[in-house]
Amino acid sequence: MEQLRAMQQAFMGHLLGRPSDIAAAIQSTPEADAPTRLGIYASGYRLRLKEALETDYPQLHAYLGDMLFDQLMDAYIDRYPSHVFSLRDYGRHMPELLDGLDDFPALPMVRELERIERAFNHSFDAADSAPPDPAMLSQLPPEAWPGMQLRLHASVVVLHNRWNSFPVWRALSRGETPPEPVEDTAPWLIWRKALVSRYRALEAPEAAALHTALNGGDFSALCEALLAFHPADEVPREAVSLLQTWITEEMLADIVTDR
Amino acid sequence: MTRPFLGFGLGLRTDHYQYIEDHRPDIDWFEILSENYMVPGGKPLAHLERIRADYPVVMHGVSLSIGSTDPLDEDYLASLKTLAERAQPEWLSDHLCWTQVDHTNSHDLLPLPYNEPTIEHIAGRIRQVQDYLGRQILIENLSSYVTYRASEMSEWEFLDEIARRADCLILLDINNIFVSAHNHHFDPMDYLLGVSPERVMQFHLAGHSHSGPMLIDTHDHPVCDPVWTLYEAALKHFGPVSTMIERDDDIPEFPALRAELAIAEDIAGRTLAAECLPPRLAQGAA
Repeated sequence: MEQLRAMQQAFMGHLLGRPSDIAAAIQSTPEADAPTRLGIYASGYRLRLKEALETDYPQLHAYLGDMLFDQLMDAYIDRYPSHVFSLRDYGRHMPELLDGLDDFPALPMVRELERIERAFNHSFDAADSAPPDPAMLSQLPPEAWPGMQLRLHASVVVLHNRWNSFPVWRALSRGETPPEPVEDTAPWLIWRKALVSRYRALEAPEAAALHTALNGGDFSALCEALLAFHPADEVPREAVSLLQTWITEEMLADIVTDR
Repeated sequence: MTRPFLGFGLGLRTDHYQYIEDHRPDIDWFEILSENYMVPGGKPLAHLERIRADYPVVMHGVSLSIGSTDPLDEDYLASLKTLAERAQPEWLSDHLCWTQVDHTNSHDLLPLPYNEPTIEHIAGRIRQVQDYLGRQILIENLSSYVTYRASEMSEWEFLDEIARRADCLILLDINNIFVSAHNHHFDPMDYLLGVSPERVMQFHLAGHSHSGPMLIDTHDHPVCDPVWTLYEAALKHFGPVSTMIERDDDIPEFPALRAELAIAEDIAGRTLAAECLPPRLAQGAA
């Protein structure tokens, strides 16, 4: 298989735009010589990868415009040959590429738009789980509450941005002119409910509670996080209210107790 | 010889999920693109489950890379097997090609040199895959744009010999035969006559594009007349073979694709005996 392997490596080199002697292994015909025939594969390779990135980042594309987004895609494709079997995962190094850039326009906004679209892509086909039955809460004895663990649905992502990237993303996704960049640190939530990806702005207490749950904190830790925002006697009611919202909104995958 | 005959189907595409669930169109089966459903959860798997409840499905993959000189991708195979357990397909298929080497994926169906060492290499890998999956698989012919100097036989001899040695089945893409016949100057009838009929389990039909002197397999046009003519010849030669149309770009509304599939049904109606047709067509023919 040495010959076949060498041929495949030379063919792949050609696709990647590296020096390759593959043309010598290909028959030319009067209507199309070997380089012309091989060129069909080389242009197809780049087009396919670009299509995958365009599918992943429609609003980043809209924000940058065709020319800049194309530059970004070319830089990505040159730097990251695909090592995944599904094109769904091809764009996974985009944050790394953007982190390494220092002379690309509007980088802070571009990085945040990338995170937003990546979170939506993740939420689209993250693992399924049936929401827990709210009735189980009423059957829970008081001593089981503090150690209760809230497992969030796999689609849940909380984004802390520095800029108004979410309003920019929202305007772009509606085909509207995006607002000018301004600092805006409001946290946003992305998750999936009834098979559809959703988003909403988070108030600071809910963001803190979600962080606690995402980091494996139990219900007592969640209440502790809420103490920064509410008087102690109101915290249990606020915490239960959040819990009910998360169940209704299909943000929870499971509630785990010691019982 | 009897082979399972599913009738006339279409490639399941995301654009059509809602229409299919709302209207339950009168087609016999769907082909799913395996990789689109090898995901943790969400919409693709939910729609697959609903549609699978009403229609037989077959699985069609693009990432097996059976002709590669890299080792078989165990993660991919495990994921494929999990999906097959979930979707319970009538059968599953991939292409007679290679897609990756040195773990770098071209995401394209790349052609192979047609010679003895390649046959031996691929037949062994297909047997490995079939052992792992616990079932025979179908291998599909490509559209190709290059011929290797190292090739020593025709594509159909290569395909048929691999199928014989691996004891696998064949998915014959009628459009790909037409495209490759144009690009490499062979008679498409030689291809049809050169393949063992008992191994042919499924036909693909699709559209293609012109690029200078070459035809390109783009799946973005309706099936053209010469491909319909070749399909008729294939039906005459092979008898009833499960047939479907692949459309991957510029995808029309579902009713337009359904109307295109009716052309295949009409051709089968005048080519095959009424008792070979699915009941819903046989009644119309009688």
